[in-house]
Amino acid sequence: MVLIIIGHPVSTCTRRVKTALYEKGVEFNLQVIDWPGGEHRTEAHLQKQPFGQVPVLIEEDGFILYESRAIGRYIAAKYANQGTKLLPDPSDLKAVALFEQAASVELADFDPPASGLAYEKIIKPRTGLTTDEKRVQTLNQTLNSKLDGYERILSKHKYLAGEELTLVDLFHLPYAATTELLAPELYESHPKVHAWYKELKERPSWKKANEGL
Amino acid sequence: MIRIRWVLELTRLILEIIGADMSTCTRRVKVVLYEKGVDFVIKPIDWATGEHKSEAHLSKQPFGQIPVLEDDGFILFESRAIGRYIAAKYADQGTKLLPNPEDLRAVALLEQAACIEQSDFEPNVGGIAMEKVFNPFKGIATDEARFKKHVETFGTKLDGYERILSKQKYLAGDELTVVDLWHLPHGEIAEKYAPEVFEAHPKFNAWWQSLKNRSSWIKANEKGNLL
Repeated sequence: MVLIIIGHPVSTCTRRVKTALYEKGVEFNLQVIDWPGGEHRTEAHLQKQPFGQVPVLIEEDGFILYESRAIGRYIAAKYANQGTKLLPDPSDLKAVALFEQAASVELADFDPPASGLAYEKIIKPRTGLTTDEKRVQTLNQTLNSKLDGYERILSKHKYLAGEELTLVDLFHLPYAATTELLAPELYESHPKVHAWYKELKERPSWKKANEGL
Repeated sequence: MIRIRWVLELTRLILEIIGADMSTCTRRVKVVLYEKGVDFVIKPIDWATGEHKSEAHLSKQPFGQIPVLEDDGFILFESRAIGRYIAAKYADQGTKLLPNPEDLRAVALLEQAACIEQSDFEPNVGGIAMEKVFNPFKGIATDEARFKKHVETFGTKLDGYERILSKQKYLAGDELTVVDLWHLPHGEIAEKYAPEVFEAHPKFNAWWQSLKNRSSWIKANEKGNLL
């Protein structure tokens, strides 16, 4: 029995996990959740994922794990000896600290405005809600100012945690891609960020995670 | 004792935290330092003169924020990363705050909890704090509609917390970890402005009260908080 991922092909968070699995060459089965049918709100699903979200990992012996970044980290650690190296050496406390610094920046500084923009300009129209243009302006400004910080970081080293690629760079892909669609001028004004993103999006793992979309 | 401390500071053997005693994110670091019994000194930043936007500060913290750790030349920012580093570096002293690194599943459950805190808890309590404390402090009026929305979403997220804390004592399992402590700075503000949400989730509230009463948190707030 291979690893199961409960998720959805279009879901940003599911694709975040798929990318990590492809980088590590780990086989899995995607169990597609019936989102329109409200399966995520059923008791059966809430028992596995108490916030009613996807993705969820289920291992052969029944171990359940949710949160795409936690799943990615677990895969990267469990399969440390195969595929792409995605984590620092756990005994190198400073390298681990710099990885955690980058991981926190992704969640605190990048994800809120980038996913916020995707929500306003992609999700809302799709679900019949009206885009709040004033909020879009604020989010754009915030993301622009955060990318100033990213530009500084990527002027010092190649990837976010140092000179080597890590899982944290890959975590950015889903909303870095929507940002390219919704606010390409932000990349034009941040050349180091743009170069970093352009290289990441060419990775076969990301292309495979988006197959058919 | 004072002479020894002076020598330690001079020889940079004492940890330095660039921050502000009352700042939520600085206190998120202080609470971990107190749990681990690690000595430190706060180097205040001159917010009024825009020191956080100076080139000197931006070269350490590219987003112009605090806190920043300086450990004998090693610079680290992001309060949660600093907390993790302290908890790992001083694993053998004070309160145990991280799982055994070889236990991959325990680590995974910690990371799951850490994501929940930063993705599900923080945006809402941070939003409440923004509307009721930080914006008014900057002369910006509270947006009551946004505040209400944050409170509503917060309540929904706490339904998830209630499920988790009905099965286990802390967020990552039956042992306290750094992640539980991270909820304190903004959670405290949310409790002041939306106490009904806390009361409506009894397992969550019991966990919350036990964290608030830890001596490390009481000490972290000794020089003031934003309530």
